[in-house]
Amino acid sequence: MELARPFEMTQPAISQHLKVLEDAGLVMSRVEGTKRPRRLAKPGVQAIDQWIAMLRKALERNYDRLDKLLAGMEQEKRGEKR
Amino acid sequence: MSKLTLKTEGDTHVVVTRHFAAPPEAVYRAHIDPRLIQKWMLGPEGWTMPVCINEAKPGGKIRYEWTNGKGGEFYLTGEFLELEPYSRIVHVERMHLPDPTPDNHVETRFEADGTGTLMTMRMTLPDAQTRAAMLATGMERGMEASYVRLESMI
Repeated sequence: MELARPFEMTQPAISQHLKVLEDAGLVMSRVEGTKRPRRLAKPGVQAIDQWIAMLRKALERNYDRLDKLLAGMEQEKRGEKR
Repeated sequence: MSKLTLKTEGDTHVVVTRHFAAPPEAVYRAHIDPRLIQKWMLGPEGWTMPVCINEAKPGGKIRYEWTNGKGGEFYLTGEFLELEPYSRIVHVERMHLPDPTPDNHVETRFEADGTGTLMTMRMTLPDAQTRAAMLATGMERGMEASYVRLESMI
């Protein structure tokens, strides 16, 4: 209920969204009487951060290699012109 | 000095920029010539790309196969949608793990930037729900799957 309040969505729609997040391991819930408090699932959120960090690292390595390759291509071109 | 920027944009976009000293023509060529791609699009150290098919024309097929020489291997397939020499490439790609990941739509632009090139790569990933499911699968499979999926982006 509390989570639904700020959104222009019905309670069942909010529950559906929360279920998707929970199934994906991004949100965890527990039962407290009639309430079901949710919290962010740390491992899930960390997995996203980790994925972004790895993407960045792999791209950096790729483009560093590409820099060297391009420098070599330029040198070859200059060599041909000579 | 880190020349690369990587930003998420909304739910489904990742935007990467990188400056290169070489002119757009050379950077563009390095993105479509298989012999050149095999030399740099390798991800982490230790991986090679023995198979690189890259038919640079609209509808043309893409297939990259990587191996680490220690039994680790995976491949990527895709198709070219648009090519504008030497300024723009649009393609879709998916990783095979071996199950295919949802399509990643990628637009790569090359703009003159001084005597060099500013490259902007805009990836459109699946909707938030599909992406959440992908991440969930990644967590089940552990780091290796994340690592492999990461390769689909490069």
